[in-house]
Amino acid sequence: MLASLWNLVDHNTKDQFAPLQERIKLSLPPQKFKSVGKPVRRNEDERLITGRGRFTDDFSLPGQVFAVMVRSPHPHATIKGIDVSAALEMDGVLGVYTGADLAADGLGQIAHNPVPSTKYDVKLTGRGGTPVYIGEHYLLPMDRVRHVGEAVAMVVAETRQQAQAGAEAVMVDYDPLPWVADTTAATAPDAPRLWDALPDNVLVDSIFGDVKNTDTAFAGAAHVVSMRTHLGRVTGVPLEPRAALGDYDAKTGRYTLYAGSGGAVRQKHEMSSVLGVTPDKMRVISFDVGGNFGTRNRAFIEFGLVVWAAKKLGRPVKFRADRSESFLTDYQGRDLVTEVSLAIDANGKFLALRAHNLSNVGARCVSLSPLSKGSGLITGSYDIPYATLHSRAVYSNTMSTQAYRSSGRPEVTFAIERLIDKAARELGYDRIALRRRNLVKPSQMPYTNAVGSKYDSGEYEKNMDRLLEIGDFAGAKKRKEEAKARGKLLGIGFANYVESSIGTPKERADLIVRPGGVEVVIGTQPAGQGHETSFAQVTADLLGIAFEKVKITLGDTDVVSAGGGTHSGRSMRHASAVISLAVTDMIAKGKAIMAASLNIDPASVEFDDGCFRSTASNRTIDWFDLARLAIALSPDHADGVKVRRDNEMHTPVFPNGSCMCEIEIDPQTGGLELLRYATVDDVGRCINPMIVHGQTHGGIAQGVGQALWEGCVIDPESGQPLAAAFTDYGMPRFDNMPSFVTEIAEVISPTNPLGVKAGGEGGTTPAPAVIMSAIEDALLDYGPPDVSMPATPLKIWTAIHKGKSA
Amino acid sequence: MYPLVYHRPKTLAEAKELFGAGADATFLSGGHTLLPTMKQRLAAPSDVIDLTAIPEMRGIAVEARLLKIGAATTHAEVAESKIVRDAIPVLAGLAGSIGDRHVRHRGTIGGSTANNDPAADYPSAVLALGATIVTDRRRIAADDFFTGLYQTLREPGEIVTRIEFPIPDSACYAKFRSPASRYSIVGVFVARTGKNVRVAVTGAGASGVFRPAEFEAALSADFRPEAVAHCSVDPDSLLNDLNATGEYRAHLIRVLAGRAVAKPGALQSFK
Amino acid sequence: MSRIAMKVNGADITKDVADPTLLSEFLREHLGLTGTHVGCDTTQCGCCVVHLDGVSVKSCTVLVGQAAGHAVTTIEGLAEGGQLHPVQKAFRECHGLQCGFCTPGMIMAATELIATYPGTLNEHVVREEMEGNLCRCTGYHNIVRAILTAAEEMLGPDRVVQPASDHAKTEG
Repeated sequence: MLASLWNLVDHNTKDQFAPLQERIKLSLPPQKFKSVGKPVRRNEDERLITGRGRFTDDFSLPGQVFAVMVRSPHPHATIKGIDVSAALEMDGVLGVYTGADLAADGLGQIAHNPVPSTKYDVKLTGRGGTPVYIGEHYLLPMDRVRHVGEAVAMVVAETRQQAQAGAEAVMVDYDPLPWVADTTAATAPDAPRLWDALPDNVLVDSIFGDVKNTDTAFAGAAHVVSMRTHLGRVTGVPLEPRAALGDYDAKTGRYTLYAGSGGAVRQKHEMSSVLGVTPDKMRVISFDVGGNFGTRNRAFIEFGLVVWAAKKLGRPVKFRADRSESFLTDYQGRDLVTEVSLAIDANGKFLALRAHNLSNVGARCVSLSPLSKGSGLITGSYDIPYATLHSRAVYSNTMSTQAYRSSGRPEVTFAIERLIDKAARELGYDRIALRRRNLVKPSQMPYTNAVGSKYDSGEYEKNMDRLLEIGDFAGAKKRKEEAKARGKLLGIGFANYVESSIGTPKERADLIVRPGGVEVVIGTQPAGQGHETSFAQVTADLLGIAFEKVKITLGDTDVVSAGGGTHSGRSMRHASAVISLAVTDMIAKGKAIMAASLNIDPASVEFDDGCFRSTASNRTIDWFDLARLAIALSPDHADGVKVRRDNEMHTPVFPNGSCMCEIEIDPQTGGLELLRYATVDDVGRCINPMIVHGQTHGGIAQGVGQALWEGCVIDPESGQPLAAAFTDYGMPRFDNMPSFVTEIAEVISPTNPLGVKAGGEGGTTPAPAVIMSAIEDALLDYGPPDVSMPATPLKIWTAIHKGKSA
Repeated sequence: MYPLVYHRPKTLAEAKELFGAGADATFLSGGHTLLPTMKQRLAAPSDVIDLTAIPEMRGIAVEARLLKIGAATTHAEVAESKIVRDAIPVLAGLAGSIGDRHVRHRGTIGGSTANNDPAADYPSAVLALGATIVTDRRRIAADDFFTGLYQTLREPGEIVTRIEFPIPDSACYAKFRSPASRYSIVGVFVARTGKNVRVAVTGAGASGVFRPAEFEAALSADFRPEAVAHCSVDPDSLLNDLNATGEYRAHLIRVLAGRAVAKPGALQSFK
Repeated sequence: MSRIAMKVNGADITKDVADPTLLSEFLREHLGLTGTHVGCDTTQCGCCVVHLDGVSVKSCTVLVGQAAGHAVTTIEGLAEGGQLHPVQKAFRECHGLQCGFCTPGMIMAATELIATYPGTLNEHVVREEMEGNLCRCTGYHNIVRAILTAAEEMLGPDRVVQPASDHAKTEG
């Protein structure tokens, strides 16, 4: 019955929120939770702090050999020929493979399905509503290379050194072509074209919102403020370089791929489709994953290549990227240009917003999520009645972009928040007061924004006020004066944010109760988010058992049969929902087992606080006794009492919050020190505050990194990436980050049983905006600052220097 | 990494012999420049000769107003040495500011000096202090030793065995670090002995470490931070990259020279 | 190929190894000690930090021959007699790790720092001394706390200044 209710509620878009929590009855009311809400120390840690993690490159198989890629030095070139003969003569070289070899074996493309397609994603199309043109993505191209670092051949040898030497001996005859890397330049009519079948490089061209009313509002507005922003190209830099180990069992005809990712089930389906085999012939193992942040959520070509070559050679084949390969060819992030205008009335009320978003997808389109996600949130945390949005995506001769931590949201948050700062400055408003005047109010929840996104819940003004308190906004003026006395420029940055968490709508949980404990098998794929702990907390409370009795199983597709992986802040919400449903089913099953075992009426069995009680016999048993009874009852239960539960949940949630930081600039050097950083984040119900705070901390660092140091810079003359090592790509480090003050606000979401929103991306979302806001605040005396990200000391000094001379 | 043969000789004579016998031999000290280069397959020596087990490559001593540091002495050993701290305090500070803790445990003064990386810190101290580079076959004045980017007067097979620093009246070093690589974008070392002031700049010069004549003249005449306020270095003679233009580096040289002079004996590291 | 003898986590090891082998490769691929990780090619990330005669080194930038005759301690050798090292315990207690990839290098770096730093340890010192280790998950906040928590246990309160409390709800 629960299932039908669930579906009814979730699929009924007219009335999707209010009734849900009332109608889904949890087995334990939240106020009785014992483990949920506590900073339970993690189950994951013991193996990781003792060197017993299971990362991809930690696996070695007998007889394994090593693969090295031959990569393009050109941003764009026709492949006229590949001469592998010299390489094949090299010591230890076992095989050299090109796109032609793959084609001869009938290998298919990677089906990335880049167009977001849940019910609540905005619908992106090509120009005039045409389908989005998705260029091909074979494991190795045969026609041309489209970015520096694109693999054109693979060498497999007995050792990694021999494979490297072999790769250096492969002669590729390239005919260089004109290229374009810059996001805006790629849209020019005469820009070099990436794909013959696409008349220009623009693959998405969609308009959303209410054009007529937006135009009317702009025409009648007292003020219009505009700006152009660009959140540049960065890369995720998970510290574990991507790796893959492929194996093939000729007896069973099955492939095994060891490869850390954001979801083994997805990789299993994608790779079996590339190889042209049924999914049951492919096993993917992804245990410990050394960071993801989105970069690992699309399949890498090497994944398919190692399993294919393993069959070809009859030996396991291993690949591990160097860091420089990771910098060049991990899926990258951001690179969105926004032109945004805000119409404001004479009293500072926002009337309408107009935005043009342009996303650079790189050479091959693997995901349009960054464009899509941002498109639904262009009005930010503010009540802006009308908006229009022109969303475009463009190909370029760069590595493909993919959803990178909080995809699309830092970009649009940056646009609206920086624009409000500008409006306040130009129109003479206090920047906090102007925000306060326009924030969406709790009484407006659920609130449908001007492009149709329905914010589930939130207390935006309360977040802001609490933040100003914990960040000591009131004391900032005094600190500014003190800094000035020391010859330093102190700046305070501020931003609000709202973001959306959608993600793959389906999730599955297998719940197994055994005499010794409970196992949950689930298809998410953490890379440090602590699922083995937080999911166990939820399971333990809902079953009414001790946390220590629950084990979470992830990451091996021979055990995990289905699941949506981890991205878009979906995991805690989807896991808690499907576990809630599985527990409800399990309780029903438990009652039936007890009744059958004791030969009593099932209606006389009650469940409360972890125990089944027969009202007829007054006998009480716990879950583990129940498992024993079940095993005695039927061989079906020999491996425990099992429930398999699938859930489909489309409705998005909208985490939100406020953020401020304080920086100090040395005007003589342009050096910048980040002194304070404070956030208030509404994550919905917080399952484990220790983990959520940790997520916020890491998210902050990644957002700050983009603002201050990180950038996948391409040389405008040669098209060569200039950041291919940690020596060129600046990172958040111990000594350039401050301690944080983070606070969790829990405004329960009405969209899912536990009221979870998400906690993984809120740290990142406002960070670029808040840092650049602080730099602007510090440099106000030097005129309107013109500092692009990353705001390196050179750029800050240049802005000061120009301001001085002006 | 390409194939190679590793050697750990116990004497200089043995090291020289091994070098002569190798087809394309190279010396290894801390290895923190050489090994990354080899890992990236940008260097392929046939033989790697580890100099760190040779006794005369080690040791720190002061003799006749000269601070003598064996070439295989690590940055960490220099940073922690009481002898160095007493003789030239900022040299210990400089050594303690190189790279990171783990790099300092391996990298050596001889390796850093012999490599003459334009962004390395040591060459500025060696040059500004007017040190002598002692090799297995001769003594070379710092003014002659550094000849260009990664270039020195050292001949193939010549082994730097120690550096001898005349102890100045005072010395100071101020540097500004790259936000990415953490190397110095500009490092300014100032040494004063009597009226004589020597200044050396690292991280910035298009030809590596150099002495800015105008700064030396100004500070010799008036050893105060204000003295360099109008000194300049031609931006066109400086490195120009993503994190620092020639113009910015020229500006930083002036700022850091002033800050260095303001704090005699101190290491100041800015970022 | 050379015969390499060294002490690894207290045990005498002798192996025939090709000369261009790095210490990190030797540990991972020849001894199966995969707790030591490799995260870059340029001696920057610190994931591979181990102790060589008690001193922290980046094992990706040490030839196995350079380590011959010396004693190496890796993350696998840190816990003694089944008891976690105070730094290991503190990383768990303070949530100083997320994905865990940088963690072995972090812990090895931190144990050496605490064991050898002569002065008072505080947040500033830890941040400066640990800059050779990168973490992409934690923003460093909780690692700093883990190191100072362990330092207090190992050195006593007089040698350690703890940072100010940072958030309202960690303790639930």
